[in-house]
Amino acid sequence: MVDSQKYDIVVIGGGPAGLTAGLYAGRGGLRAAVVEKLMPGGLVANTERIDNYPGFPEGISGSDLAQKMQAQAAKFGAQFVSDEAMTIAAEPKSFIVTLASRAQLKAKALIIASGAYPRTLGVPGEKELLGKGVSYCAVCDGAFFRGQEVAVVGGGDSAVQEAVYLAGLCSKVTVIHRRSSLRAAESLQRVAFKNGKISFSWNKTVVAITGDKQVEGLRVMDKENMKEDVLPVSGVFIYVGYHPNSAVVKDLVRLDENGYIITDENLMSSAPGIFAAGDVRRKLVRQISGAVGDAATAAVAAQQYIENL
Amino acid sequence: MPLLKDEDQQFLREEFARKLAGPVKIVFFTQALDCMFCQPTEQIIRELLPLSDKLSLETHNFAPESEEAKRYGVDKIPAIVLAGKKDYGVKFYGIPAGFEFSTLVADILDVSRGETSFSPDARDKVRAIAKPVDIQVFVSPTCPYCPPAVRLAHMAAIENGLISAAMVESTEFQHLAHKYNVMGVPRTIMNETISLEGAPPEQLFVEKLLEAAQ
Ligand SMILES: Cc1cc2nc3c(=O)[nH]c(=O)nc-3n(C[C@H](O)[C@H](O)[C@H](O)COP(=O)(O)OP(=O)(O)OC[C@H]3O[C@@H](n4cnc5c(N)ncnc54)[C@H](O)[C@@H]3O)c2cc1C
Repeated sequence: MVDSQKYDIVVIGGGPAGLTAGLYAGRGGLRAAVVEKLMPGGLVANTERIDNYPGFPEGISGSDLAQKMQAQAAKFGAQFVSDEAMTIAAEPKSFIVTLASRAQLKAKALIIASGAYPRTLGVPGEKELLGKGVSYCAVCDGAFFRGQEVAVVGGGDSAVQEAVYLAGLCSKVTVIHRRSSLRAAESLQRVAFKNGKISFSWNKTVVAITGDKQVEGLRVMDKENMKEDVLPVSGVFIYVGYHPNSAVVKDLVRLDENGYIITDENLMSSAPGIFAAGDVRRKLVRQISGAVGDAATAAVAAQQYIENL
Repeated sequence: MPLLKDEDQQFLREEFARKLAGPVKIVFFTQALDCMFCQPTEQIIRELLPLSDKLSLETHNFAPESEEAKRYGVDKIPAIVLAGKKDYGVKFYGIPAGFEFSTLVADILDVSRGETSFSPDARDKVRAIAKPVDIQVFVSPTCPYCPPAVRLAHMAAIENGLISAAMVESTEFQHLAHKYNVMGVPRTIMNETISLEGAPPEQLFVEKLLEAAQ
């Protein structure tokens, strides 16, 4: 058996919520580890520009913000573990987190800050053409479509924001949305409507992504007259919402019908000692400012919980 | 203007002091003309060097058929090879900037120890591979999902002398991105035949590697 490393708090996920939890726990004098399977920053790292996080009136690039948050957490002593949390076992007054490398971390309290992953459309061609024109990350893959025509699927903040980013690279961007109006913030909508390279295709659902070796087009259906149409594009960027990364705690805590962790006002889940912060938690608004706010509450509440053990 | 801020330098200096086991030689292939990213790549290396006396630099003017290029199996520039006790076949083609900088740092630590963080099961499987595998991982510097894919490839190279692995920065080597039909990153190509999209979990990566070594 591998010797387990002992911590006061183990934070699962290194996005804005996880990094903030690490910062608060570290500052509170606790031994804290932040486990992240990909890159610190979470979804923020794949966001081109962030305009609504207070303190940056000129806006800030997602990767810059992610790096600053990580540096700040490191400064207060949070330790980073680059690995994936696979299973959690509850023991009396402690938890054992087993990582993909088989290493184990022991903690008195856990903060689940594992965020969410992009939802897929679930249409033919989507899986087959991943990396061949189907993408969920415009800052990663946008450059491959320079001067070409692409589509963005979705109508929320992420979809509209990334459509604007892609319009800076591509010759034409068509936003396909299943409703007749956007859910995105007013100010984002205004920027998008003014951009001559962006056009909107309303009340349409994507039926299939077509192409052999690479994406050649989309088959879209009009929701009113049920007519199908083909939109020739060489790339499609999908922003149709998220699924919570809650599998690792699904047998330990209560989840809502969509898999989000249900918490009380101190952000403790149904299991004493397991707290949740950020996008993985059931709540109305999923934004960076909310994620960091959650994390501050969860870290302080976790500290109180530990002190009362 | 320095790329690394004071606090980053300080952080790396401490990290290297704590975790660098043996010396690491950074072998850099460059050219004065016609190489847009050679100079900025060199700047990154030059800023890393003074952060530990365990790091050293060996610079070669690139000529495709030169002795050194052949010895390290380098066929394009800018190229970085990280060598520890031996040359493990760990390469970077193109600038290791943006998110890939973290890959470079993590690789330096692994190469200095000659060890990786594979799980015991994965490590045994990788070590048992008995046929050469050449891995190319296409990335872009703005891709947060790319470093884990490059790390897996480089870790495999460190564990097994028959495996060599290179990060390839897609925007600098567009002809290669085109050749391998790269339209999304990360994209891992093994022995020209097997490909993997996205950041694979360790287990899937090892499965594909075994397939490539068939
Ligand atoms: C394209 C886009 C644009 C956006 N724009 C904005 C914006 O302008 N302003 C704004 O406020 N918000 C924006 N958001 C939303 C914002 O990114 C999220 O609300 C925020 O990132 C949530 O933070 P989090 O820490 O809860 O989760 P995440 O950022 O999702 O981080 C969770 C982390 O946990 C890791 N993880 C998951 N499971 C495990 C495991 N088992 N083991 C180890 N690690 C694990 C993941 O790899 C991930 O890094 C945007 C989102 C997207 C996708």
